[in-house]
Amino acid sequence: MLKIYDMKNLFIYLMIAFIAMACNQKDEHLTNVSSESIFQLNSEWENQEGEFIKLSDLKGNTLVMVMIYTSCKTACPRLTGEMREIEKKLGNYNENKIKLVLVSIDPKVDTPETMKKYLNDNDFNGDQWLFLRSDEASTREFANVLSVKYKQISPIDFSHSNIISVFSDQGVLTYQKEGLTVDTSEVVNEINKLLNNS
Amino acid sequence: MKSFKRKIILSLLLIAGVSSCSKNTQDSDLALNTINAEEIKTDGTFEVMELPAPPYVQSAVGNRAAKKVVVNLEVIEEVGELANGVEYNFWTFNGTVPGTFIRARVGDEIELHLKNRDDSNFPHNIDLHAVNGPGGGAEATFVAPGKEAVFTFKALHAGLYVYHCAAAPVGMHIANGMYGLILIEPEGGLPPVDKEFYIMQGDFYTKGAYGEKGLQEFDINKAIAEQPDYVVFNGNTGALMGDNELQVKVGETVRLFVGNGGPNLTSSFHVIGEIFDKVYTEGGTTIMENVQTTSIPAGGAAIVEFKADVPGDYVLVDHAIFRAFHKGALGKIKVSGEENPNIFYEHKTKDQKL
Amino acid sequence: MKFIVIGFIFIISSCTPNISKQDSYKISKKTTYIYTNKNMVKIDGGTYEGFIGQDSGKLVKVKPFYMDDSPVTNEEFLDFLKKNPQWTKSNVSRLYADIDYLKNWPSDFEFPKDVSPNSPVTNISWFAANAYAKSVGKRLPTVDEWEFVALADATTKDASKKPEFSDAILKSYQRKDTYKTSIKLEQPNFYGVYDMYGKVWEWTEDFNSVMMSGESRNDSSKNEDLFCAGAAVTTSDLHNYAAFVRYAMRGSLKANYNVNNLGFRCAKDL
Repeated sequence: MLKIYDMKNLFIYLMIAFIAMACNQKDEHLTNVSSESIFQLNSEWENQEGEFIKLSDLKGNTLVMVMIYTSCKTACPRLTGEMREIEKKLGNYNENKIKLVLVSIDPKVDTPETMKKYLNDNDFNGDQWLFLRSDEASTREFANVLSVKYKQISPIDFSHSNIISVFSDQGVLTYQKEGLTVDTSEVVNEINKLLNNS
Repeated sequence: MKSFKRKIILSLLLIAGVSSCSKNTQDSDLALNTINAEEIKTDGTFEVMELPAPPYVQSAVGNRAAKKVVVNLEVIEEVGELANGVEYNFWTFNGTVPGTFIRARVGDEIELHLKNRDDSNFPHNIDLHAVNGPGGGAEATFVAPGKEAVFTFKALHAGLYVYHCAAAPVGMHIANGMYGLILIEPEGGLPPVDKEFYIMQGDFYTKGAYGEKGLQEFDINKAIAEQPDYVVFNGNTGALMGDNELQVKVGETVRLFVGNGGPNLTSSFHVIGEIFDKVYTEGGTTIMENVQTTSIPAGGAAIVEFKADVPGDYVLVDHAIFRAFHKGALGKIKVSGEENPNIFYEHKTKDQKL
Repeated sequence: MKFIVIGFIFIISSCTPNISKQDSYKISKKTTYIYTNKNMVKIDGGTYEGFIGQDSGKLVKVKPFYMDDSPVTNEEFLDFLKKNPQWTKSNVSRLYADIDYLKNWPSDFEFPKDVSPNSPVTNISWFAANAYAKSVGKRLPTVDEWEFVALADATTKDASKKPEFSDAILKSYQRKDTYKTSIKLEQPNFYGVYDMYGKVWEWTEDFNSVMMSGESRNDSSKNEDLFCAGAAVTTSDLHNYAAFVRYAMRGSLKANYNVNNLGFRCAKDL
């Protein structure tokens, strides 16, 4: 026979318990992340819709990432072309399990509007396509994780490495394609391996 | 009866024809090899290459099948002796100048490990002239101190090739001793000889003059002006002198693998008192015979062969002679054994007899 | 009532995570700020002739800033580790440092016995150097800032035109084990900054802006395959071998590398 007084206390205790469990679950989420995962990075990224995310929000997706800037006239169009080619070669893939991500090395110029236009101009439609930018320090940090080198050489031009990186859905770097003369078949194979295992 | 005779004559002609043809194919064997090298399959085994220090080399490849060979090179920056009382900060492959000889055959898959010892101050890499691929391996092997890189290449061409460091500033890396030779033997191997030695010439540029004692610094201005203070074999004026003379017996056939690391000078390589029976010009597969002095360009090599007929001291020189006597480009082969008066005989004069 | 209390305690305790040593860094990811009494020098800024690539020969502008007068020492780094254990040898994330991180430290809170406590800390990755800089309210200097300060010898702001300057620096680079001895043993430069040469290589904020592929013969023409937009490693000053080796060193590094003779110092905006 429960008195009203007890009910109130019970209610309070249960609320506290649920809150405690919810807090712990957040840590649970983190402790599943491997020591090599990019989901450890604390940086905040703005996407083409102006929404802010952390890299850990991409967990559960195989990631194909490239660092470019929209005003690039030389290699970036080719790198973007390679991303298109890779997507085509993947054929019928599960769009919910993969993210093709362009990351800007020129965050000042590549605003959400610019990024959105770039994706549209390139027919990169669908939620699997993402364009991200962050502050200078976080951009440099992320480039260093990918071993991508870059340098601003004029107000509108950057020198940068031509690298496409593939991450598992746990955020661990599994494969990199360096240079423009290498064929895309191997990187597509690697992505398919990850998609089939996830 | 007539037709039978005819048949015999025809068949004799045929046999004669075929046997002379096969002799021809032997000479062009070397050339044919390079065309098919890409298709040579390795036999599935692998071998970690032995690493003898210069002037010694690994044993001949013989007629073993192509296989995978693993070569371990470590970059070591170390102060060593350049001449008596003169020290220099050498940058080396495996602690010697030149670096360890590498020996393989056409069709081998060579897995090259380049480690930069972790007490090094500088990043290094390697470019092997035997490699078909970007930078000869230089891009793939750029290693900071403590790091290691690995790449594999298939040997497609027979010949004797130079390898060297190609990290910036390249001139300094080479000038400090980062070079060596890699021999790719043809299928079936080079014809056997009794003795083989490995020699590499290099020019050194020091702040101090020739012979100035103590630790000498690299002098960039002299290097740019191509005015070395030392021109030596195997990184030291005394590398092939005194106790380090090369020992050969009368009657032995000798093969010298001679390279020139440069960085700048071309060598006029000559052995005083000998004629080279064979010279594989420029380290390739064409053989010249009866050569007195052969030109070895910077970044190049040559294989020279001769037979030791008469006992005595045979001095190796760069015949641009002031280098031999004022900069250290001297080495010695000591041939010991019975006198051979048919080939060389010193007459005693009336005074000597008394 | 009792059962409810017991049940409540049971629920709470079963949900409390087991904070193992392995996971602890994941939870305390935040940088704890520390105090340092390291002296900083104000650098007035100006221009200098860029050494390589697109900057080669061009005047590069450097704004005024503060520079640490010496590299961060083992002792200073230990202070940082005590307050930020997520950066100790056994806790550090593999993303931020490879297996050579603090490899000569016998344990998490002990620096090597054969080095002076005032010697520069080495075998730390760029990520670790950045974390340290953040913890003391600073940052890493950029390549341009570092090179600008490095122009000075003991008496002049810009000694780059003196041929003996480059020679002396190149000579100092060849000495071994310099990272084991204390900072500030030699004369400071014109600004009062010590150990710009002959001590340790130093991390910079944008070391990865040096696009040397290792294939330095090819680097003198645009390597459009590996690098976008004319990353030519030409240089206007072919004599300056000291700068060559410095840039080559930067080009050979990845941010998670830990090298025996690579340390860092901090900088700060005005």
